[in-house]
Amino acid sequence: MQIVTVAIADEDAGRRTKFENCLQGEEDIMVLKNATTSEGEMTIDRRLNPRKNISAIDNIVAMIRRLNPRILLANLKLCTDEDCAMLLSLRRECPETLVVLLADESVQQEEQVMQALASGARGFLSPEADSRYLSKAVHVIDRGEAWVPRKMLGKIMDQVLQWCLENSIEVHLDPAR
Amino acid sequence: MILLASSSPERLSDWKQGVRGFSHISCVGSFDLLRDKIVRSKPQILLLDDELPGLDSPSHITDLKKLSPETRIVILGCALSDDAEWELFKVGVRGCCKKDIDPKKLVSVIAAIQQGELWIRRSLTCRLLHELGMIALEKNQIKQAASDLLANLTRREHEIATLVGNGENNKQIAQRLEITERTVKAHLTEIFRKLKVADRLKLALIVTGSLGKHN
Repeated sequence: MQIVTVAIADEDAGRRTKFENCLQGEEDIMVLKNATTSEGEMTIDRRLNPRKNISAIDNIVAMIRRLNPRILLANLKLCTDEDCAMLLSLRRECPETLVVLLADESVQQEEQVMQALASGARGFLSPEADSRYLSKAVHVIDRGEAWVPRKMLGKIMDQVLQWCLENSIEVHLDPAR
Repeated sequence: MILLASSSPERLSDWKQGVRGFSHISCVGSFDLLRDKIVRSKPQILLLDDELPGLDSPSHITDLKKLSPETRIVILGCALSDDAEWELFKVGVRGCCKKDIDPKKLVSVIAAIQQGELWIRRSLTCRLLHELGMIALEKNQIKQAASDLLANLTRREHEIATLVGNGENNKQIAQRLEITERTVKAHLTEIFRKLKVADRLKLALIVTGSLGKHN
């Protein structure tokens, strides 16, 4: 049986433990604990060192490379530009690790979540989601599929088609090209 | 209104059975009839048999979308490959499912599509995310290229370029900056030269490109 390794990045220790406990019941999932880092805590805390963004991202990338989980569950509450930069770095440096956002799907966040998905996240689920969904999402993403609600898939498709349309219009506007 | 299109009376009767809870339902048996019907009644949902006579390529679906852009199309096919199905989504269909789908399940398909969801097989979801990622990358490159170009401008030129990007004409720009129109023109000539563009439309495209497009 293939074991799926999972690492959890959440600055809230209580919630992290909750996720760990949820997943530990699954016999084909192994949760990698954060004991390997010198700080003792594996968090993606953007407040950690705001003036050294680059090195904060480098730290995370190095940590993930060391842990080498198949799935990284990352709690990115706001999906800021910095978070997206980190996702891009992870996609480039750790292509074997698939990132799932633990983020609330609320209207004002939709655009940010979409941006995080464009930066390489393979899916997202609410931190409050039922534990059954958590393990299901892990398995689905491990298979190479995305874990995104159908409604958001509809919106992503709209954006993709819109982009194709805009680009074909630009070509018409500019006959010299 | 829900429009069903198939040349097979058995299919139509199965699907009709599945959607009988909806109010207006209509059926057609050929592509020509479908074209007529879609123009006249602009159905909300179209369930389309991929073997409908006359429907030979995805471009026919593009035609249908032009005839009635608001109609959401669901293709019912058998054993479509991932590539074939993706092709259909790229021309604007909102869902694909098996022709022999349990008619009772059609209700959930239609309900999902009506709410703006995509009825897509899971193995294609990653392709969609990949596409989104590629677009983001392209947008960034455009933005970067545009900012690089604009970085060659002086502060005044940059100011004028931005106003052109907002759609202002020379007179408006002159008034706003309290300079003569002739000076605006001179600046623009220099801007066009630096950016190697021939007219203000292209300049405006570069300026808006550097800001990134927001939907």
